[in-house]
Amino acid sequence: MATVNIQNVTKAFGDNVVLREFSATFRDGEFITLLGPSGCGKTTMLRIIAGFEKPTSGEVFIDGTLVSGGKTFIPPEKRGIGMVFQSYAVWPHMNVFDNVAYPLTIRHVPRAEIRTSVERVLGIVHLSRYADRFPSQLSGGQQQRVALARALIAEPKLLLLDEPLSNLDAKLRESMRFEIKEIQRRLGITVVYVTHDQTEAMTMSDRIFLINRGEIQQCGTPQEIYNNPVNQFVADFLGKVDFFKGEAKDGRIVFPAMGGQSIPYAGPRTGKVDVAIRPENLFFAEDGVLQGVLETQYYLGDVDDCRVRVGDTLVRVITNGYDHQSLRDGQAVSLGVRDFMVFEDDGLLEQMLEINT
Amino acid sequence: MQSSLPSRNRSALAGKLLLLGFFLLGLWIVFYGLRGMREYAASGFSSETAYQAIYHLHRETETAWNRKLSPQLKALSGEDQLRLQELTEQLASSAWEKQKKGGAALADLLAEEDEDEREALAQKLLYAAYLVNGPKVSTANRKAVTALSGDEAGAFRLQLLRCLCDESAELPPTAQKLAGDLSGEERAAMLMQTWYVSNGSADSGITEQVNTLKKTVRDKSAQLDAFRMIARGEVSVTDQLVVGHSRTAILIGVIIAFNALLLAVLMAGDRTWQLDVKWLIILLIVDFLLLFQLMPLVYMLVKAFFPEGSFSLETIRRLHTYPLNLDAVKNTLIAASATMVFGTLLAFPLAWLVGRTNLYGRKFFRALFVLTYMVPPYVGAMAWLRLLNPNVGTVNQWLRALLRLSDAPGPLNVYSLPGMIWVLTSFYYPYAFITISRAMEKMDPSLEEASRVSGASPLKTVFTVTLPMMLPSLISGALLVFVSAMSCYGIPSIIGSPGRVHTVTTRIVEYVSLGQQGLNDATGMAVFLMLLAVIILFLSDVVLAKRQYITVSGKSVQPALVELRRWRVPLTVLVSLFAVIVILIPFTTILLTSFKIDVGKSALQAGNFTLNNWKTVFGRVETVNSLKNSFVFASVAATVGIVIACTMSYLLQRTRIRGRKVPDFLITLGSGTPSVVIALGLIMTMKGNFGINIYNTAYIMIIAYLIKYLMMGMRTVVSAMSQIHVSLEESSQVSGASWTRTMFRITGPLIFPSIAAGWFLIFIPSFYELSMTTLLYSSTTKTIGFQLYEYWTFTSQPMSCAMAFGILLIVMLINFILHRLTKGEFSI
Repeated sequence: MATVNIQNVTKAFGDNVVLREFSATFRDGEFITLLGPSGCGKTTMLRIIAGFEKPTSGEVFIDGTLVSGGKTFIPPEKRGIGMVFQSYAVWPHMNVFDNVAYPLTIRHVPRAEIRTSVERVLGIVHLSRYADRFPSQLSGGQQQRVALARALIAEPKLLLLDEPLSNLDAKLRESMRFEIKEIQRRLGITVVYVTHDQTEAMTMSDRIFLINRGEIQQCGTPQEIYNNPVNQFVADFLGKVDFFKGEAKDGRIVFPAMGGQSIPYAGPRTGKVDVAIRPENLFFAEDGVLQGVLETQYYLGDVDDCRVRVGDTLVRVITNGYDHQSLRDGQAVSLGVRDFMVFEDDGLLEQMLEINT
Repeated sequence: MQSSLPSRNRSALAGKLLLLGFFLLGLWIVFYGLRGMREYAASGFSSETAYQAIYHLHRETETAWNRKLSPQLKALSGEDQLRLQELTEQLASSAWEKQKKGGAALADLLAEEDEDEREALAQKLLYAAYLVNGPKVSTANRKAVTALSGDEAGAFRLQLLRCLCDESAELPPTAQKLAGDLSGEERAAMLMQTWYVSNGSADSGITEQVNTLKKTVRDKSAQLDAFRMIARGEVSVTDQLVVGHSRTAILIGVIIAFNALLLAVLMAGDRTWQLDVKWLIILLIVDFLLLFQLMPLVYMLVKAFFPEGSFSLETIRRLHTYPLNLDAVKNTLIAASATMVFGTLLAFPLAWLVGRTNLYGRKFFRALFVLTYMVPPYVGAMAWLRLLNPNVGTVNQWLRALLRLSDAPGPLNVYSLPGMIWVLTSFYYPYAFITISRAMEKMDPSLEEASRVSGASPLKTVFTVTLPMMLPSLISGALLVFVSAMSCYGIPSIIGSPGRVHTVTTRIVEYVSLGQQGLNDATGMAVFLMLLAVIILFLSDVVLAKRQYITVSGKSVQPALVELRRWRVPLTVLVSLFAVIVILIPFTTILLTSFKIDVGKSALQAGNFTLNNWKTVFGRVETVNSLKNSFVFASVAATVGIVIACTMSYLLQRTRIRGRKVPDFLITLGSGTPSVVIALGLIMTMKGNFGINIYNTAYIMIIAYLIKYLMMGMRTVVSAMSQIHVSLEESSQVSGASWTRTMFRITGPLIFPSIAAGWFLIFIPSFYELSMTTLLYSSTTKTIGFQLYEYWTFTSQPMSCAMAFGILLIVMLINFILHRLTKGEFSI
């Protein structure tokens, strides 16, 4: 029900530039995820949309109205948004009902109307029985739902979520993930969701904005980003990936560190390249392209995580769990490649690895 | 394992038996003490010290008789001896009659004995009676008499004895002055006394004892009993031990029994009955606090309700039946309540503006308001007195000129209850400010942000979220202001007393200076103050602490500052104005006054500027001495305190040992107790009546400082240690470092800034302390705070202002160091 238009937003705290020329458009009813490692600027972007930070330069429009930029600044309370904080920010001195009713109380909505609204919203988040409780009597997940209910009650055009699940345990996180997605689908509101968890981003988003060091690396649907990463960082951040240095020539890529073994390549690049292979895209074949020796296998139940020595390089292979029994350590194996990505060897990989390790 | 079990059982048994033994020993000593108390009660003396005095007196007279008088008597002729004996009996019986109007008991007493003993008895009796009742040898004459050398003295004494027997015999020249016009019995008594005095300095001790005896054995019948005891030698060593030290015995017994019991409880907890060194440390600290903190307070409570040994509400009744006391109580309650209300009303908006908005210079203001907390309150009182004095106060002069008023005093008068409330507020609001600021910093800012996105304006958010969330801290800050204002002595004594606005603290100090008879009133008021403080301490530490909302967020987000927009400049101006009025003007006044010749005129006026005040004050030996005293006492208190603080931090943060909360509780109680109450308690119990006599020494002051300020140091170290995860120490130990090495290489360096900060936090208030010092100082242990107070009251205001500004400079320097060490993060 709301569009967000961000134009060339730059944010600096002193000398520290957190966001650089950030531009994006979030369409009506979209579930947008701002994804990136910690410190990448995603939370700052969200807080700029909410109005808790002012951009150093650039503009933010909500529904075509300028809310931040130039001399204009509309304070958070006048932006008509809902927001859920990482720490829940449920007020400990109010009970669940009062917490949720707060946005309506502020707007002087009649008492009876507030009551029905609160009941409805608490129903949505499955907390109807807890209206009289105080936050200290609730579990983390329940507090999270109170925060969500409070963000939803005034029927905001735009819902902002700042790592809302990061303080929950794994099981709860998974179920909340689907609940939030379900609520968004039902209400059809625009959601901007900040997380560093790629699984959350993949399962919930219509579009992901992958951010690193204050800049958008890539935006697109989860499939686009996963399958067609534009650079090494994106490839590395989403899913598992191993990088190999190679040289593309004559329709093949040769890996010097693999004893000169090579794989067929039909792409346009030539010369030095970074090849990114996801371990699940490698498989044990009768007659594969890479020959090596199986070093170790880790049985994880659903999958089998193996290490194969090809030349001087250890290659990670993830295969189905049922392959486990058939192979022994030390056995010579042949590897087939389903898919791989080729990037220009521009030094970005080294830079990235240096930062992330 | 198997083989070690029996030996373990054996040592456990030994431990239990040992503890039981100690416990029983303690109980036995207590019973022994109680027996003595009963005996003493039966004796009818008003004080146990009388018993001790009697004992000593008895021994001394006996010695004097045997060693000195007997040989000399032998040198007299037989006739003289006889005459002297007669005279002695005569004197004794007349002395006796004087004591005991009309009785014949002495005759019986004298008749009972055989001749030799009767003589000795009469001598002793005479001696005691005349020391108590007879004319006194003046100090000058005493000197002249004792100045005589060996042979001379012998001849002098013999001559004196001759004169006693024969009134016509010629008096030695030194004695002529003494005997003067005296005749008859009085003359004889005086000669007898001179004879004793000439026996030298040993006798001065006796005179002191006699004075004690006179003071403590007030009623006549008790005095008669005392003389009879002296005469008959009835006071034995055991009696003296039992009666004279019964309180000490009870105290020691209680401590031994309590220690054994506490240790037993601790040991029962871990079931091994092995002695842990940590328990001994806890016991040591607990015993120290028990002896110097809890015992005086309990003794004061007992004295308040059992003033003469039996239950009576008289002391409490005097709080409201005696108008002077009632006024003081009323004034204290009004002043403390008003200060609390105004202080909190100032502190909350200031804390919010400085902590949560984009006010200009918020960090500067924060540091400034925290600094005021470090300034001795009496300095503020002095400054405001200079500004608001009804006659010559600078502000009043300006106001009169401005409003074209006549030269009559006014319009403002600082010597009043409102004046006192104003000064108290301007010096105690930082307590609330610091408490609220700390809580506000700890509050998760997203709680406020959540309110903003919910549609509430910043102001609305303050009232619906910030204020309710801060309420527990707000109340505890307010209570802290109340207790501090109520316990303050410096401000009421400088501003209140001249205007006859008495408070409980000033009354207590005045009552104590009255001596024994004032002590009852002082005790009553102290107990009132103490109970009020304890109740408030309980409210804020136990009740409120449980209601504190813990909302520290996992993420350390810089809170979004509230945009003040068009209010930004006006509010900054307002806060600056406040800072100017409350901080800049008073401090400047102090500085300017210190350069004045004529206090009434401006320092900038021609011919009224001088540096002499500074030169004089800091050139005087007494100033230098008191500065030295202050440095030494405060350093010792801070050093001992920080050792205890580190030990306690370790016990609290790194061990799960039982009983670690006991000293923690006592230390918190000590810091919550009003200063004058601590001092009064120490005075009443540490003057020898419980076997410890540190009255008028430096120790009593250092102990008082420790009790009052130990907690500030402890909290700083505890909070620093709580922030160091145990794993840092554990990984050092895993790396092979011993416990000691770990403490010195890992924990020590990490918490060193806090240890240093803790040291200064004990040092600063001890350095300029006034309330306790006023009660505890002696001529050799004056401190700078008290010296300043004396200068202010008796000497010169400009000079004392120079001294005050000197103190301010020292405090500011230390505050600067403190700020560097803790980055402004210390708590109170």
